[in-house]
This record gives sequence, structure tokens and C-alpha cells, in this order.
Amino acid sequence: MTTTQQAGKQDLSWLDDVTMTELERNPYPTYERLRREAPLAFVPVLGSYVASTAEICREVATSPDFEAVITPAGGRTFGHPAIIGVNGDIHADLRGMVEPQLQPAEVDSWVDDLVRPIARNYVEQFEDRGRAELVAEYCEPVSVRSLGDLLGLQSVSSDKLREWFHKLSVSFTNAGVDENGEFTNPDGFTPGDEARAEIQAVVDPLIDRWIEHPENTAISHWLHDGMPPGKTRDREYIYPTIYVYLLGAMQEPGHGMASTLVGLFSRPEQMEEVVDDPSLLPRAISEGMRWTSPIWSATARISTTPVTITGVDLPAGTPVILSYGSANHDTGKYDAPTAYDLHRPPLPHLAFGAGNHACAGIYYANQVMRIGLEELLEAIPNLERDTGEGVEFWGWGFRGPTSLHSTWEV
Amino acid sequence: MATAISVSGRRVECTDDQSMLEAFLRAGIWMPNSCNQGTCGTCKLQVVCGEVDHGGSPLDTLTAEERAAGLALACQARPLAETEVALRGEEMGRTTHVLRDLTATVVEVEEIARDTRRVLLGLEEPLAFSAGQYVELLVPGTGERRQYSLANTAEEDKVLELHVRRIPGGVASEWLFGAAAVGDRVEVRGPLGDFHVPDADEDDGEPMVLIGGGTGLAPLLGIARTALERHPDRTMVLYHGVRTAADLYDTDRLAELAATYRGFNLVTVLSRESVPGHRSGYAPDAFVDDIASARGWSGWLCGSPALVEAGVKAFKRRRMAPRLIHREKFEPADAVGAGN
Ligand code: HEM
Ligand code: FES
Repeated sequence: MTTTQQAGKQDLSWLDDVTMTELERNPYPTYERLRREAPLAFVPVLGSYVASTAEICREVATSPDFEAVITPAGGRTFGHPAIIGVNGDIHADLRGMVEPQLQPAEVDSWVDDLVRPIARNYVEQFEDRGRAELVAEYCEPVSVRSLGDLLGLQSVSSDKLREWFHKLSVSFTNAGVDENGEFTNPDGFTPGDEARAEIQAVVDPLIDRWIEHPENTAISHWLHDGMPPGKTRDREYIYPTIYVYLLGAMQEPGHGMASTLVGLFSRPEQMEEVVDDPSLLPRAISEGMRWTSPIWSATARISTTPVTITGVDLPAGTPVILSYGSANHDTGKYDAPTAYDLHRPPLPHLAFGAGNHACAGIYYANQVMRIGLEELLEAIPNLERDTGEGVEFWGWGFRGPTSLHSTWEV
Repeated sequence: MATAISVSGRRVECTDDQSMLEAFLRAGIWMPNSCNQGTCGTCKLQVVCGEVDHGGSPLDTLTAEERAAGLALACQARPLAETEVALRGEEMGRTTHVLRDLTATVVEVEEIARDTRRVLLGLEEPLAFSAGQYVELLVPGTGERRQYSLANTAEEDKVLELHVRRIPGGVASEWLFGAAAVGDRVEVRGPLGDFHVPDADEDDGEPMVLIGGGTGLAPLLGIARTALERHPDRTMVLYHGVRTAADLYDTDRLAELAATYRGFNLVTVLSRESVPGHRSGYAPDAFVDDIASARGWSGWLCGSPALVEAGVKAFKRRRMAPRLIHREKFEPADAVGAGN
């Protein structure tokens, strides 16, 4: 009996009992079983096929027989045309719109001046206090303030930007559907709708201004770059991609920093190594991304033709959700994947996706996380986790610690 | 077919079907990487020598100018010949003092504390070094090399000052505490080591704390004097930790320094006895008691591994930035390899 046949004959009725709440609390047990029994499987609560191993995620993400599609809850939250869910010319135009500011050489020319003062400012607010909740007081603020300033949203407070991504995030991942494919919790989209209305109320006047007076902000460039003189991109056309930024690009560097810290706290000797030698930070962050992938399971592809993947026949038009967070715990690739280990054999991971829809902000995101953690550990080399408080991770679509209490001697 | 590639002194084989990144990663050598498809630029590195084929590197990620400047994307590039690369941000081609082999003459051997001698070695021509570095002596008649920190400032480049602690049975001790005499010739190799003052233009006069255990005081003397000459007003505390008062030395010399520079303080710490005028206990603990915050200070540690480790902990506890912590672990020179 071949493994394929075995996979085909697996009894997957246990999947009927998987709930959204369970996945959001801790998706790993479900996905571990999926990787073992059915690395490409239809998961009823998600109303979609799911790819859970490194090999299949990569195959689907880079296959010529698939193209991008936004998940139903994602589409409901962002509208069309969001960069993550479009293909062909529109995708090429949107990539061409966002990429110039994110090119490594370009990012190198301003990222330190942008991020370091922001990071210092947030550290200064608590460094003499001896304790802080690092998710809300540091990781998220550094992440949103840096990108907010880059986009041209200086007038929006960091707390407001954090509130927006939280609201967009819960809507985007409100993925639960019933047997008819209807959302089981339609009210779950309310926060996202509220955030979108607020965002438009703030961003519309800025767009009005930038149409007349272009500025060196990302959104102003999006309006003008590559357009014939006197023309700008339609705001309805760029809003969905603005939401992509205001959710993922705002949230994930914060998740990434916080997860890396929790990982390092789990290995005090590795934390000490990194504190003593900050040049280890890029590696520590890379392992943090593998260990708890911030975009755990949020993007998808759809087959454009009938295909067979690991023995599963998919008709044309079948969506497959890419669970990169699961792929990065694939025991076929990593030993003891649930452990954070700075020194594990350094194999590439899939935390930034793959194929032509891979993350456009990798270089920038890595720099933000590096500078953020450099400044934190420089100012507080005696940082310790507050062991009186637990650390809880949450999320299936996006994942990271909900809080991280820490203490140090002052 | 495989081609050799190297980074940071480590050499691996890169087969024809591997990118340089893959070859390094498979050999367990980490380097930054994220997309592995040439689009993010995270794996950009500098080709130091050799030749690479950029493969699928897109022009957006690796511009023509960057190619011309010798940059490459590790995840796309394949070596065409034996190639050496450097990670960006790694110090490249930083000038260091030339390592030289010299013959020195013993000018003076002086007993300065219990089982402790000061040895002055005259050079025929000056040696360029940075205060804090060390030299290796070829112990006459043994073929053994022993390392000793220089107590000199960079200006004192014709007579090298070493502090030597006697190690029973050690080959260098046998010589320096025995037959060594003024006029003896000895082979010296140096300068070596990265425990040294920064260049003057990188020294912004930050407060400094130095902790030396026993003859670990030697390099700190060169460092302290250099740093004070540059910034006479800087705050500096030097802790000299020894077992008993009989192990202390150069206290007059340091008192003189304190008289000249108002920001300089010497604290002597005795671990095995209690004597008025000296602190009792361990030097790192004395520092923790004295200094409430070392944020923005630089720290200099030279002594036994235990002392250096305790010092690092103490400095971090007082929130000194680790990149400003300099350390020199000082195995008693003679003990190292004494049994070989
Ligand atoms: C640690 C932080 C981040 C992580 C882990 C991350 C991860 C990801 C992942 C997994 C995808 C989907 C890839 C796929 O479907 O194959 C993605 C898409 C994307 N990311 Fe990121 N991202 C991060 C930060 C950012 C930032 C800061 C920006 C912008 C400044 C950004 C811009 C984008 C864009 C524009 C896309 C859509 C690309 C497309 O569909 O063509 N990301 N990201
Ligand atoms: S890893 Fe992204 S360009 Fe090489």
C-alpha cells in the first residue's frame, strides 16, 4: 500500500469537529495531524482545502496551475482589488506601485533614521520603570509608528493604528462557515467595518491633499507613480491594498518581535548570547518567524485547471489556504519544530510566503524588527520575562503573543 | 563538480546545483535570508574575491551598480571559481596594526607585589599597537609561547611593559622568576587581540568602568591613561580586584592618575582579607554597590574567566549596553598549555 493510497483512504471525519475557537487558541495539534494524515485536506469549518506541509505550501504557492485568491472573510473585510487576491495586470500594477519604496537599497537609505528614533522614544517611556508589557508598549507601537510615518499617517496616533489592525484582523480571520458556505458569525465583521469607516474618514482628506500636492509618503506615491501626468490612481482602487497594509504590514513586525522575544526567553542562554552579540539578531528573528509565523494562515491560491496534488484531485477553481505557520513546524524539515532554537540547522522557512505573491515587505519588515530589538536590548540588557504572568499566543490567521510582561532591575 | 566558497573564515563546497546560500546553510553556516527566490534582498552579500554567476537575480533586487560594486544575492548566485564572500555590515578591510616578529631585550625585571613582576622589554624599533592589546613571548630555551597584555599607551612604543604573575611550574615563570636577567634577548610577536581602546575619532568621552583582576590590571593601565588623555574630564572608575593587600601593585601610580584627572577613581577590592582603605569582596559586586546606572558607560574587563563573566553580568545588571562591554579573559598565561 502506498502512502498516497493511505492518504486517500484516511478517515478524516475528525475534521468535522474542528472549530474556529480551537484553531485560534492553538492550531498546532490540528495541523500536526493534518500534516501526518492529509497534508492537503478539505477542512469543513474553513470551507476550503488547506495545505499544511512545507512541500505542499511551496508547491501550491509557486505552481503555474494556481493563482492568488483572497479568502472569503478576507475579501469581505478588504474589498476588491486587494493585492493579495488579484492576478495578471492588476497584480503587476499593484506590485509595481508598492515595490519601489520596499526595495532593499531604497529601504537601507532611510530605515535607520525612520525606525531607530521611534524605537528609542518608546523605550525611554518605560526603561526606568523596571517593568513593561512589551506587546502593547513596545512591539506594536514601534511597528505601527514606523509604517504609519512611512505611509504618511503621522496624524494618526499609534494607539489608533493598533486599534485598526486589531479590528481588521479579527474580521479578516472570521473565517468560520457552515455547510452551505455561509459565515457562521456575520457579526464578526462589524469591527472591520468600523475600522474601515474610520480609516476612510482620516485617509480621504489626506488623499485629496496628495492628489493636488504630492508628498514623499508611500500613499502619495501610490496615487501618482507610473501614472500619466495629471492622472492619479483611483482611491477605490488603492483602498483594499491600504487595508492590506493597515492590517498585515502594521501588525506583523510587532508579532514578529514579540514572538522572537518569547522564544528567546524560553532559552535564557540564547537570550544572553543575543544580548551580548546583537549581530545574532537577524538569525534570532528568522527563527522567531519560523517558530511562530505571524501570518500563520491568511493567504490562499486557487487552481486554474484540474490538478492532482499529493494524490488529491482538485478541479479547476478550487481554493487552497496556505498554512505557512504549519509548514514551518513540518517535522519532515525541522527537528523538534515546536522548540525555539537559535542554533538549529539554518534552513529557509516560509514565514514570508512564496511565489509571485510572496511578501513584498520582507526586507523592510526584517529591518524594523532588527532595529526594534537592538534598541530594546541595548537599553535593557537585563530584560527578563515576568514569570508571575503567563504568555498566551492567539490566532490562526495571524498569530503572536497577546501580551508579554517583563521586568528588569533599575 | 563542486567549488569552494568561504565566509568569515569558514570554507564549504558548493555543488553545481546549489546556490551559495544553500551551500552555506547546508553546512550549518547561517546567513540572513528570507524569500529564497531573489526578490527580498535579505541575502545580499559582498564578493571579496572570486567570481559568481548572478543566475536569476532580478535587476530590481540587485541593481547594475550593486553588481559592479561586487554585491551578489546568495540565494541566486553560483560560484564560477573559488570565491570568498563577506556579509554586509561585517567589518571589511578594517585596518589593523601589522603583526610583527621582533627581538626584544630585557631592560628591567622588578618585583612589584607578591609573586608578581613587572618586565620591561626594549625594542630596537617602535611597535605600532592600540592600548590594551597583547604580545606573545617565545620563552627562551623552551619553544613555548605565552601571551602578555601590554600596560603601555600607544605612544610608549619602544619599551613594552608586561605584568607577570608567578605560576608554580609554569615555563615562563621558571624563566621570569628565575634565570631571566637584564640584557637577555627574547622573541616577541604582536600586537594581537581586539581588547583595545577605540580610535580617537570614535571615542566620544563616555564614562568608563574598568575591572581588572590581579595582573589583569596591565591592559587597563594603557587603556585608562589613553582614554583620560583624550578626555581629561571623563568619569572613570577602575576596580582592581586581588586576594590580599600584598597582591596590590601600582597603587601610587594610580593615585597619581587620580590626582591629575578629577573624574578618575581607583577602588581596590580584596577578596581574602579585610584591610582599612580597601573594599572587601569581589570587584564586580563593588561596582554594583557603587554605580546605580551604567547606561551609556563603556566597560572593560580583564582577568580570570570567572571575573570577566561576573563583570559582564554586573554591567548588564546596571544596564550597560553589551556592545560597549569589552572583555579579555586572562587565563594565567603559564597555566595554559603548561601541561602540554
Ligand atoms: C514580520 C512581518 C511580516 C510577515 C511575517 C509577512 C508575511 C507575509 C506573508 C506570509 C504574505 C503572503 C505571502 C503569500 O501568500 O505567499 C505577505 C504578503 C504581503 N506582505 Fe508581508 N509580512 C510582513 C510584513 C510586511 C510589511 C511590513 C509589509 C509592507 C511594508 C508587507 C507587505 C506585504 C504585501 C504588499 C503582501 C502582498 C503580496 C502579494 O500578494 O503580492 N508585509 N506577507
Ligand atoms: S533570500 Fe531573498 S533575495 Fe535572497
